Parts: sequence; C-alpha cells; structure tokens
Amino acid sequence: MKRGLHVLDPAETPDREWQERVATLQRAMAAHGVDVALVYGDVSRSDDIAYLTNLCIYWNEGVLAIPAEGPVTFLTKLSLRVQNWMKASSKVTEFSGGRNFADLVAKYLLGRKTGVLGLVDAALWPADVAGEIGAAVPGWEVRRLAGLVRAQRLVPSAAETELLRAAGRILDHAAAAATVEGSTAGSRVETVERALRGGGFLDLYPNSLTTSDGVTSFGVTGQFRTGWVHTSRVLGDGDGWAGTLNEALAQAISATKAGATVGALAEAAAAALATLPGGATAEVRWVNQADLSTGGEFRTHDPAAVLADGEAGAVSVEVVFADGGNAAVAETVRVTEGEPEHLTGAQR
Amino acid sequence: MTIDHAPASAGAVLSPGDRAELELRHRKIREAMAEQGLDVVLAYGPAWRRENIRYFTDVTPAGSAALVVFPAEGEAVAFSTRPSDLAAFTAQGWVDRARRLDPANPAGLGVVLEELAPRRIGIAHHELVPLVLMETIRSAAPGAEVVSATTLLDTARLVKSEWELARMRRSAVVCAAGWEAFVDVLEPGLPEYRIVAEVEARLKNLGAEDNFMLIASGRDEVRGMTPPGDRLLEAGDLVRTELTPKMDGYWLQICRSAVVGKADDGQRKSFDLFNEAVEAGISVVRPGITAHEVAVAENDVFRKYGYGEYCTSQYTRVRGHGHGLHLDETPIIEGNHTVLPENSVFIIHPNTYTPLAGYHVLGDPVRVTADGCEVLITTERKLFETGDVA
Repeated sequence: MKRGLHVLDPAETPDREWQERVATLQRAMAAHGVDVALVYGDVSRSDDIAYLTNLCIYWNEGVLAIPAEGPVTFLTKLSLRVQNWMKASSKVTEFSGGRNFADLVAKYLLGRKTGVLGLVDAALWPADVAGEIGAAVPGWEVRRLAGLVRAQRLVPSAAETELLRAAGRILDHAAAAATVEGSTAGSRVETVERALRGGGFLDLYPNSLTTSDGVTSFGVTGQFRTGWVHTSRVLGDGDGWAGTLNEALAQAISATKAGATVGALAEAAAAALATLPGGATAEVRWVNQADLSTGGEFRTHDPAAVLADGEAGAVSVEVVFADGGNAAVAETVRVTEGEPEHLTGAQR
Repeated sequence: MTIDHAPASAGAVLSPGDRAELELRHRKIREAMAEQGLDVVLAYGPAWRRENIRYFTDVTPAGSAALVVFPAEGEAVAFSTRPSDLAAFTAQGWVDRARRLDPANPAGLGVVLEELAPRRIGIAHHELVPLVLMETIRSAAPGAEVVSATTLLDTARLVKSEWELARMRRSAVVCAAGWEAFVDVLEPGLPEYRIVAEVEARLKNLGAEDNFMLIASGRDEVRGMTPPGDRLLEAGDLVRTELTPKMDGYWLQICRSAVVGKADDGQRKSFDLFNEAVEAGISVVRPGITAHEVAVAENDVFRKYGYGEYCTSQYTRVRGHGHGLHLDETPIIEGNHTVLPENSVFIIHPNTYTPLAGYHVLGDPVRVTADGCEVLITTERKLFETGDVA
C-alpha cells in the first residue's frame, strides 16, 4: 500500500495546472467522440487518476469518471469517512460510493443523454469490471480507448519537472548512503526507507539482485507526489563485468537525447555489453517516469519510439547470467536536445 | 535482446518441510479442482494481490503482474513481467519452469495453455485479470469454460499448516518491534509521515518484505485512518495505527493507540471500551465459530454501553479480518457466516469512532486452537503513553 506522505500543495502544483490537466483530457475525449471517460486505477497502478486529481488510491481500486464538460467524479468502494479525507487532499469534489463499479457507473450515467462511454487504457482494465459496466449501461456504446491520460503525462510540466528534480536529489543521496561499504541487506533498505519516506516520498520499492559470484545490485523506485524516479547500483568497486555494466549504462545515457530512438540506447551500449561473460543476456531499457510504478512492464518495448524533449525516465541495463544470477544498473534522466539532465546518479 | 525465460533449473533441492508443504498444497488444490471439474487453475497476481502466486511458488515476485498455470496433472509454470523473477521462481524449487509475461503480447502464456488444451479453467482473481490477458486466455483455450477460482484458493489458504504458523510467529515478533519503534518516536512537533519512516526503517531492518500501515493523529475529531500527512503531533494527541508487517510472505497485524503524553479521561474510557470488546471477541473463539459470531461478541459490548451505532458502516468497516498470504482475508463482520476452523488466523479489532476519544484502534491476531484461541503477539494490550516503558 502507499503509506508515505500525501499532500496537496498549491505552491507545488497551481490550481490552474490541475484544471488544465482535466481540460486537456476533455479535449482529447471530444476528438475521439467520447461523451464520458472512465479511468480505472488500483493501488499499484493509479498514477493517471493521481495526475488528474491528486487522489491517493492507497489501497484497493477506484474509477474516475470524466464528463465532456464539468467536474470529475470519483467512484469508490470506500466509506464516506475516508471520502472526507480524499476530498481534503485532492481536487475531487464529487464522490459516489457503493459496492461495485458497474452499479456506480450506472448511477453516475443516470439522467444523462446516452452516447459513447470510453474506457481509458482499456486493455489494462479488469475484464470483469469492463464487462459488468457494459451490461449495466444499456444504450451506451462502450468504447475501448488508448492511454489518453498517460499520453499527457509523458512529458512533465515545469512544475512536475521541479518535483522530479527534488525527488532525484533525495533518492540519489539515499542510494549513496545505503550502498556504502559494509552495508547489509537490512541496512540498505532501512536507510532508504528512513531517507525517502522521511523526505516526503509517498511510495517506494527497494529491490536487491545477486549473482553467483557474490555481486549485489541494489535498486529503488520511488514516488514523490505524482512523479517517479529510479536508480539501481552495483555494490563494490565496479571491477570486472560490473564495470562493464556501468560503462554500458553511461553509453546508453549519453545516447539519450531528444529525437533519438529508444533503440539507439541499446545500440550505444552494445559494444560494452559484448564483453559480458558468455551466456549472459542483457536488456537496455527506457522507461518513462509515467510508467515507473509498474517498471514499464505493461508497455510494449518499441525500439523505434522517439524520445521527446523534456521527457523524463529511467535508463537501465539489466543482465541475467547463465546460472540465473541477475544484476541491474539504472539512473533517471531528463531528455534534452543535448546531454541529458541527470536526475539521479554520479553526474547529477 | 530480451530475457524471456528462466535458465534451466539447477535442480533446487527442497527441505523435507518445504517438500511436505508443497505436496500438501498441491493435494488440497487438486482435490478441489476435481470437485469442481477444473483441468487448470490459473492464479493471477497483480502487484497488490500476489498471495496466490506465493502459495504456488513460495516466491513473492517483484514484477507488476505474475501468473501461475497449475494443471490437474503435470507441473506448474510461473510467469512474471520482470526478468529477475524468473530465476527466483526456479531457484526456490516449487516450480520447474518460469517464463516472461508480456502483457502487451502475452503469446507465451497462450502457448502454455494451448498445450494443455483445457476444457474448464478456474482463474484465481478472475475479477482482476486485465482484458488483454483474458482475451489471450480465451483465444488459447477456445471452447473452454472459464470460471472464477478465487474462492477455491481463498478456501485452500484459510487453514494454516504448522509450516505456515512458524512463519506467522516470525511476523508476530516483528509486529511487536514495529509497535515499539512507533511509540519510541512519538513526540510533539513530529509530522505523521516521519513516524511511518521510522517504523518502516525498523521493520525492514528486521527483514520485513512489506508492510500495510494506516495512521491517524489528533483527538476526538479523528474519524478514520489513512496514509500519513504532514500534521505535526501535539501533546494529548491519540496516535492510532494498524501495523502489518509481512515476513516470508505472511502478514500479521497489530492495532494499538498511544497518547502523546498522558491520557485524559475520555481516552482511558475509550480504551476500556475497546479492550472489553477485544476480550469479548477472544472469549468466543473456538473451532467452528463463524466470523459473524465473533463480530457480534465485539459489537455487543458497544451496544451494552450505548455505542452500538458506531459499529455500523457509517463509522467503521470490519471488526477484524483473516491473515495469511493476504493481509485482509475473510472479514470479521456481522452477516459473514464463514466458519473459522482450527488453525485459521485472524485479527480481532473493533476499531471505530466513538465520541469518547475519536477513532480508536486496538486488536490482536489470534489462531483458533482445539479449545479456544492463541493470541499471537506479546505486546501488552493497554493505552500506551509516551514516556512509558513498553
């Protein structure tokens, strides 16, 4: 569950920006001929809803209903006493609670002129929920939509970028402190939990990987407000193949620039990775921060995708050895037309 | 390059205890599958509901989604969206094969299902399977009847083995340590989120894999618990938490409230009320009791003192819930007639709002024994005050 600091601070994100996020989606809905859009979220994948409203789905599931015009409504299974907290800590003013989403959607649409009901990022909706909603709203055309909200999130605003920079600073310091010589598995996680949650992170996922020759890599993915940052580092002095991974990461990061393809990152790292021990398989990945809550695992890895100016995300090099050992190095950067801005890592 | 399957298993050797547990689980599931006419159970686990993946593999994957395909005959296959999980699955030795799950192109799952050619598939967490995966399942098994197996797995997990109880007792030790860390850090001026940071740090240092934790601070205006905010503690605040570390896959919860400084009369009366309700719940536990009956015992204490209205959904959710590989298993609530057999584990927590001191939390996890119950944590059930020796 999400259990770090949750705040709504107008000094960080002005009211006008919150309004514009919803308005941009409503314009996209109009372009797609959609009268009402629904966004589904659960605790592990709720960033679209947070982006539009600052709602924190700290546990369980929720659905945000967006009309063609006017305010959004949050459909929730949670009780009224928690809805009061949600009202105080988000931009949502309209809530509807009940036992299942199909009934809540039907109630929400009652009295509205029938039309097109769009499921945003439909492929990732629970099939049962999507089916039940379709059955509960006769007369409405239920249309599967792509990730319209995610598309808005791919290039962060100036306000979001400032928050990502703050997050990167906190994460970078925490990761450095956690991976000092003599650290243990317990001390590493203890250090990042205290530093990141104590620094205002809402959520974090530490992860350790090991190899049969005793090399550990330690990674952390964390959420600060509605943005995500990631780092992963090999412990020790970086000799041997570990140095090769670091070199590959540096090459991949150097290729990260506006207009470059995602595939260019792997091409840049290829020469270094070719020297890995036999039987090792390596992946070079770009994961936009908008997808970091799920490690980019719900998105197609498209080598032809072109990086945009201002986009932020994690460049990672992951390797699995023939005996099953794993290692990973990664840092978060912001894409520019020249050298990327390092949000985490030694060059930050 | 992509990493799409685990390296060949090095032939992980299970301990006799692990082997016995694995065989027990396979037997329970296959008996239930036979009763329900299922050829395959497919356990789906998004990042927030991985209990059934752990049940089949003894691994909590790091990936954002995982699956286990468990046939009525033959070996299970595990899937994860994260490459590093694949070797973890096979190294643990509960499954021999592991493959990458690509939600955008789940063809690998389709191949495994096509080979099995099932006629009836039961999906645990059917209600959470995304459209893209469900359509792959249906196209890979055309003509197969697809039903939910969520209850099948929930039922299988309800009664804990000695192997599982040993793990839950380790969680109980960490629960106690987490509560000590919580009380130790409380002082006026500390923001709520820093409390959570300190507790998390302590739990993780002790080896906790995860934690479910809600918190609230303040006085009688507090109506419920949430993630932490930036509110600063004040002298006289009641600080409440549900703290639920997970060790070796198993969650266990402690519910306590502490006063910053010395408690006032309302806070003491509130504690006495909630403590009597917890004791009433504990007193009725025996094999065969229902969740409804435990909840009634707790709520009757509130009703006796004129606080019955605060046991309704307007003020509270449940009067406890089951524990295990998921933290929130069968709800202890009036109207739930689920029978709680020997060696089922659940927390008794009559947490709710009353005007005495606002929302109050107090509760202990218990195991149903042959003639009553065993309280699994050692933390004293009292109204903690800062400056106390815990």
